[in-house]
Amino acid sequence: MSLALRIRALLADALLGAYIGAVVYRIVWGQILGGSPPGEVTLAEWLGYAGCAGGFALVGQLARCTPGAWLLWRESMRPWQRAVAQHVVWATVVLTIWTGWSVARVSPVEFFSSKGLESAARLFGALLRPELSILDAALLAMLQTIYIALMATVLGLPPALLLGFLAARNLMRAHPVTFALYAVLRVWINFVRSVEPLIWAVIFSVWVGIGPFAGMLAMLLHTVAALAKLYSEQVESIDPGLVEAVESTGAHPIQVVFYGVVPQVLLPFLAFTIYRWDSNVRMATVIGLVGGGGIGTLLMQYQGLARWQEVGMIVLLIAAVVWVMDYLSARIREMLS
Amino acid sequence: MRAQIELLGVTKRYPNGVEALRSVTVRVYRGEFLAIIGLSGSGKSTLLRCINRLVEPTEGRVYFEEEDVTHLRGEALRRHRQRIGMVFQQFNLIERRSVLENVLVGALGRVPVWRSLLGNFSAELVQEALHNLEIVGLAEKAAEPVRALSGGQKQRVAIARALMQRPQVLLADEPVASLDPATAHSVLRYLEQLNREHGLTIVCSLHFLSLVRRYASRVVALRSGELVFEGAAEEITPERFRHIYGEEAEEVELR
Repeated sequence: MSLALRIRALLADALLGAYIGAVVYRIVWGQILGGSPPGEVTLAEWLGYAGCAGGFALVGQLARCTPGAWLLWRESMRPWQRAVAQHVVWATVVLTIWTGWSVARVSPVEFFSSKGLESAARLFGALLRPELSILDAALLAMLQTIYIALMATVLGLPPALLLGFLAARNLMRAHPVTFALYAVLRVWINFVRSVEPLIWAVIFSVWVGIGPFAGMLAMLLHTVAALAKLYSEQVESIDPGLVEAVESTGAHPIQVVFYGVVPQVLLPFLAFTIYRWDSNVRMATVIGLVGGGGIGTLLMQYQGLARWQEVGMIVLLIAAVVWVMDYLSARIREMLS
Repeated sequence: MRAQIELLGVTKRYPNGVEALRSVTVRVYRGEFLAIIGLSGSGKSTLLRCINRLVEPTEGRVYFEEEDVTHLRGEALRRHRQRIGMVFQQFNLIERRSVLENVLVGALGRVPVWRSLLGNFSAELVQEALHNLEIVGLAEKAAEPVRALSGGQKQRVAIARALMQRPQVLLADEPVASLDPATAHSVLRYLEQLNREHGLTIVCSLHFLSLVRRYASRVVALRSGELVFEGAAEEITPERFRHIYGEEAEEVELR
C-alpha cells in the first residue's frame, strides 16, 4: 500500500473527526444547553478538536470502520465495518444540514408572522404601483449607469487584450522567463476575479472617494481580469496548425501572433467583450447601491426614505434595461458566430 | 556531389518520452522529388520538421547547403526557415481572409514587422503574389475568401504561399491525405511541375505507394522512427512493403 494513499486516508479521517467534534460541540451542544459558547475558541477547545481528529484517525486504523479506512481497505472490510463507515458519512451529512439550518437562522415562524406578511403586502403593493413621475430622473440615472459600465469595458479592453495573450499557456511556455510571467499573471487574474467587484468598489471608494469613479475603477479592474481569462482561454484553444504554418515561413514571433493567432480569436474576443459590457451594466446597478452612482444610488436614496412606489419604478426600469441589454448582446453574439 | 540537405544520425525525443526519430541519416539532393513513406506515427512529420527546424533534434546534425542548422535560434533560424517552403495536410490557411492575403503571409519574413502589422504590403509583393497564384492556376480567385474554396484549391493557395518565400526546397506533409483521388493528382502535378520547371527540391510524405511511384524520383521509408528503406520506388517489392508497413499490411491502389 502506497504511503501517499495512507496519508490521504489518515488526513480524511482526522479532518472528519475534528469537523464532527466542532459541529457537535458548537451547534448541537449549544442548542441543547440553550446557549452557544462564547465568540472565541479557547486552547482547551482547540486541543479537544485535535483529540477528536487523532482519536478518529486512530479508531480508523485499528478498527477499520471509518471512511478513511474505506479508502485503504475497501475490498477486505467486514460488513459491520462497512456499515459503521457508511453511517458515519450519513451522520455527517445530517449534522451539516442541521448546522446550516441553525447558522442561517431559518425560521418559518417569522416568515409567516402576521406582522411580517402585512409589511410585505404593503411593500409589494407599492412596487406594483410604480411612481411614474420620477421616470425621467430614473432614466437619466440609468443612462449614467450604462455609461459607467461602457467606460469600464472600453478602458479595460486594451490591458485585457495584452494580458489575454501574455496569460495564454501555449504562447508563453517556450521560454522560462515568459513562462514565469505567465504564472504570475495567472495568479493575479485569479485573485482579482475571485474578489467581488462590490468589494473592489469599497476599496476604491477609500482611495478616490465614494462616487461613480470608484465604481467604475472597481468594474474596470474586474473586467480586465475576467476578459483576460476569457481571452487567454480562447488563445489556448486555437488550432496550432495555422501558427505552425506562419512559423514555417520564417516570420517574426510578433508576426506569428498577428497572422497565426489573431485571425482565429478576433470574433470570439468581440463576442466576449459585448457580453462583458452587458454584465457590467448589471454589475453597475449593484455597485450603485454602495454609492457607485447611477440608478443604484438613486434606488438606495428612495429606499432610505421608505418611498416604495419610487423604488418600484426603479426596479422595473432596471429589469427592462437588463432584459434589453441581454437580448441585444445575445443577438449580436449570434450574428458574430 | 554534396547533398543539399543532410540529416546525420538525427534522433528526436519529445518531452513526453516518445522517440519519433532514432539515429536517422537521410540526404536530399538538389532538384529531386523525395518521398517519405511509413505508417502514421513512424516519424515522417518530425523528419520534415527537422529540415526547416520547426523541430530541434535531440541528437545528430542537420546541414542545409553545407551550413549547420541543427541548433539555430532567433534571427538566424528565421532566415533558415524563409528559404524552405512548407505545405500541410490541413492546409493551415486563414479561412476568413482572402486568397491574396493568405499568399502574402509567405512574404512575412521579408517585410518589416511594423509594416506587416498594418497589413501594408508593397505593390511589388502583391504582384509577386498574383504571379504565384497564376502558377497554381488560381489568379482569378485572389479576392475570394479562402473558406469559399474547395480542398484542392486550398492546397494550391498553400503552395502559392510557400512560393512567396522564394524557396529552394518545398516540404509537403501529407499534402493530399485529405483530398479525393482526382484532386490529389492535380495537387501533386503542381508539385511535379515546380520540381521539373523551376528546379525546386521537393520532400513530400505520402500515404499511397501508387502516388509515390508516379511522382517521386526517390523514396525513403521510416518505421517506428528508424530508416528501413532508401532507393527507387520500383525497388519496393511486396516483401519490402511488408517490412515497412508490417506483416498485416496490404497495398491499396490509388489511381
